[in-house]
Amino acid sequence: MDVMEKTDGVAAVGAREYLTFRLDQEEYGIDILKVQEIRGYEKPTRIANAPEFIKGVVNLRGTIVPIVDMRLKFKCAKAEYNDFTVVIILNLRSRIVGIVVDSVSDVMELPADNVKAAPEIDSVIDSSAVMGLGSVGDRMLILLDIEKLMSGLDMGLVSGEE
Amino acid sequence: MAEAHQESSGSGDFDLSQFYQIFFEEAGENLDLMEQMLLNLDLETADDEELNGIFRCAHSVKGGAATFGFSDVAELTHQMESLLDKLRRHELQPNAMMVDVLLESADISRSLLARHQAGEAGDPPDTSDLVRRISELASGAAPAAVAAAPAPAPVPAPTPAVVAAPPVAAPVAATPTVKGERQLEIRMGPLERLDQVDPVKDLFRDIAGLGEIVDLPSDQPNVRVFKVGTASSNEDLLDLFAFHVARENVHIRDLGEGEPAPGSGFDDDPPPGTPIAPAPGFGFFEGAPGAPAAAKPVSAAAKAGAKAPAAQLAQPEAATIRVAINKVDQLINLVGELVITQAMLAQNSRTLDPTVYQQLLTGLADLDRNTRDLQESVMSIRMIPMSIVFSRFPRMLRDLASKLGKKVDFVTQGEATELDKGLVEKITDPLTHLVRNSCDHGIEMPQDRLAKGKPETGTITLSAAHQGGSIVIEVRDDGRGLSREKILQKARERGLDVSDQMPDSEVWQLIFAPGFSTAETVTDISGRGVGMDVVKKNIAALNGTVEIDSAEGVGMRVSVRLPLTLAIMDGMSVGVGDEVYILPLSSVVESFQVKPDAVSTVGQGSQLVKVRDEYMPVIELEKVFQVPRFDHDKSSDIMVVVEAEGSRVALLVDELLGQQQVVVKNLETNYRKVPNVSGATILGDGKVALILDTSALVRRSRH
Repeated sequence: MDVMEKTDGVAAVGAREYLTFRLDQEEYGIDILKVQEIRGYEKPTRIANAPEFIKGVVNLRGTIVPIVDMRLKFKCAKAEYNDFTVVIILNLRSRIVGIVVDSVSDVMELPADNVKAAPEIDSVIDSSAVMGLGSVGDRMLILLDIEKLMSGLDMGLVSGEE
Repeated sequence: MAEAHQESSGSGDFDLSQFYQIFFEEAGENLDLMEQMLLNLDLETADDEELNGIFRCAHSVKGGAATFGFSDVAELTHQMESLLDKLRRHELQPNAMMVDVLLESADISRSLLARHQAGEAGDPPDTSDLVRRISELASGAAPAAVAAAPAPAPVPAPTPAVVAAPPVAAPVAATPTVKGERQLEIRMGPLERLDQVDPVKDLFRDIAGLGEIVDLPSDQPNVRVFKVGTASSNEDLLDLFAFHVARENVHIRDLGEGEPAPGSGFDDDPPPGTPIAPAPGFGFFEGAPGAPAAAKPVSAAAKAGAKAPAAQLAQPEAATIRVAINKVDQLINLVGELVITQAMLAQNSRTLDPTVYQQLLTGLADLDRNTRDLQESVMSIRMIPMSIVFSRFPRMLRDLASKLGKKVDFVTQGEATELDKGLVEKITDPLTHLVRNSCDHGIEMPQDRLAKGKPETGTITLSAAHQGGSIVIEVRDDGRGLSREKILQKARERGLDVSDQMPDSEVWQLIFAPGFSTAETVTDISGRGVGMDVVKKNIAALNGTVEIDSAEGVGMRVSVRLPLTLAIMDGMSVGVGDEVYILPLSSVVESFQVKPDAVSTVGQGSQLVKVRDEYMPVIELEKVFQVPRFDHDKSSDIMVVVEAEGSRVALLVDELLGQQQVVVKNLETNYRKVPNVSGATILGDGKVALILDTSALVRRSRH
C-alpha cells in the first residue's frame, strides 16, 4: 500500500530525469535536480570516531563537505579509490554532501510508465528510500530518494536528538 | 495599495512580502532612530533640527504603515505625529511626560509591527489608552507649555526661547528696538520647485507672533524673495525654514528696523533698484558680490555652512546600502578560495627561473597584493560600528536607574570602533549584564554618593578601542567598587582556597567562579545578580578574555578583550601521524619536548606530566582521534600545554608545524558536531584541517 502511493506520486509528476551511477554491478538513479556537480575523488580529511562509510570532509571551494562512500554504506564487495572513482556532490534541502560511487553512467529521462514499484525485499537500503525500479531496455535502475536516504539517522550525517 | 498588489500579481505574494520586509526593516530603523533622538533631546534647548528629525521618523513610519494597510500602527503613529508636529511648530513646549509617552508609543509600535511581521498572530496590544494620552498631551498640556515659556506678554512668541540653542543669542541677534521688529529681505534659492517654500508662508500664518511675510518679485526663475517683518533672530528663522529649504539656500538681509508701513504696501512698490529709506539700496538684485550689504548674507551663509557639515556628520547612514548577509558571506567565502588558490600558485611558481618567467612572476606578485587588499576590504564589509550595541544602553539605563531611584549618566567612547557583525550580536548580552550590574550594584543611591563626597549622579562609561588585533570594550563606573574583604570572606565560606596575600587581580577573578554572585557578596541587593561566570563563559566562547580592575569606594572597570572577527583566528598547527590539527593560539600556554620517563601514570591509564611544580593531565591526541600510524619509528614526544576554563592539560603531539591565521569554518553546516572539534579550516594546500575544542579536551581530562 505504502509503495503504491509512492509510485503514484512519481507518476503524477510524469517523466523525470535521473543521473545514473554504478555501485559494483548495480545501477542506481537519483533525481538530477539534487545533483550539484561531479568531481574526481580526492583524499578527504579523516574525522575521528565517524562511521566507516563517512570518509571525512573535503574543501569544496571554501565549503566543508562530508564525503560518504556509498559502496561501504551499501556493503559492496570492494571499494577501491583510483582515477575513475567519482564523487557526486548533492545539494540537498539543508546541506551539501558528497557521495563516492564507482562510476557515473549518464543522465536519462524516464517516463512514469517505466517506473515500477519495488517489491518488498530485504536489503541494506532502507526500503522507504527506494522510490521504485526503472527499466531501460533490459537494464534495471534502482531509483533512490537520495534526500530521504541521506537524512536518515543511520547515515550519521545529522546529529540525533541531543 | 496592498489590495492593488494582490490583484495585479496573482502569484506575486512573494513580491509583496518582500516589500513588507523592507518596510519592517525601515520602520524598525526609524523607531530606533526616533528613540535615540528622544533620549538625546534636551528639553530646554531642543532645536528644530532634532524635533524635525523625530517628526520625520514618526511620519515615515505612519506613511509606510498606511500604505501597507497596518491601520493600528498608522493610527498610533498618526497621533505621535500630531503631537510632534505641535512641538515642531513650537505650539507646545516639550516636557518629560511627552518624551515618556513617545518612547512608550515607539515600543508599542514595535510590538504592533512585530505582530504584523509574524502574520497577525496573537492579540494586538491595546493602543487606545496610549492614543488618548497622546491626544491629551497634544491638546491639554498646551496651557502649561505657554506658562512655562516666559515670553514677553505683548509679543506672544515662545519661539526664541525654545529654538535658539544658546538662549542669550536671541537678544543679541535680534537687534533690540522698541518694537523689537525688524524688516528683512529673505532670498530662498536656488529651488527645485518654487512652491516648495510655500509652507514657509504658512509658518508665518500659523505661528502667532512670528511676524508677517509677503512675496517680492524675484530676478531669477528659481529664486523666491520675501519681505519679512519679524521679532525673531536670523538664526531662529533659519531653523524654522530648515525643514522646507536647506539652510545654505536661505539668505537673510536686514532692511533696517521699525518700518512704519508693515509689509503689505510693499507689494505695489516697483521692486528693483528703488532705494528705500534706511536701506542703502536693493543691491542684492545684482547679486551679492560688490553690494555693500553683501557681508551680511555671506556671514549668514557661512554660519549656515558651518552648521550644515555637522548635521551631515550626524547622519552617516545616507551613504549605505542594504545587503543580505548571506551575500556578504558568500563573497567572503569566494575571496577565501581566491586566497588559497593564490597561495597555491605562489607555492608552485617558487621553483620557476625568474629570468625566464619574469612576466609571469610579476603578475603573480601583483595578484598576491591585490588578493590581500581584496580580502581586507571584503572582511571589512562585515564590520559594523559598536554604536549599534551602545545605542541600546541609554534607554535601558534610563529605565533601570529610574526604577532603582538612582541617578546615572551614561557616557560612550569609541562608538565608531568596528567589530564583526557576528561578534556584535554575541557580545550584546554579556555587555548588557555588565552595564546592568554596574548600575544595579556599582552605582550608589544619590544620598549615599553625596554622603561620600561624590557627585550625586553616577557615571557609567562604555568604551571601545582597537588594541593590536583585538578590540577592548570597557565598562567603567564610579560606584562603590568591589570589596576585597567581602569577596575573600565569601570565598572562604564557600571553601575556596584563598589567602590574604593574594594580589587584587586574583581576588577579582574569584567573582567569576560559578555561583559566586556579586549580589550576594558585595551588595545587599540580591536576586538580580547576574552570574559573572555566565558572562565570562560567553566571552570565552568568543575567544575573548575578561579582566577586572577595582578600587573600593572609587569604582570598577571590567575590560573585555575580543578578537576582531570570529571568522579568523590565530592558530597553531600541530602534526599527529600524517594529520594536521589546529589549536587556538589564545589557549596555548607553552610547549616542550618530553622524555618518556617524565610521564607518570596514576591508577589505570591516566597519565600525568610534571611541568615545573605542577602535575597536569596528559591527553594523547593520537588516541583521542584514533590517528592511524604508518611510520612506527615516529612517536609523539612534544607536549603543548593548553588552558581552558581555568584548567590546564598537556596535549601530546608529534610535531609543531607553525602558527598561522586560519579562517574558521563551521563543520555543522553540512555535517554534524564532532566531539572535541570546534570547527574546521582550509590549509594553504586546500586540505581541510580540524580545529580542536580545547574546552572539551579539558573537560574530558576531568572525568
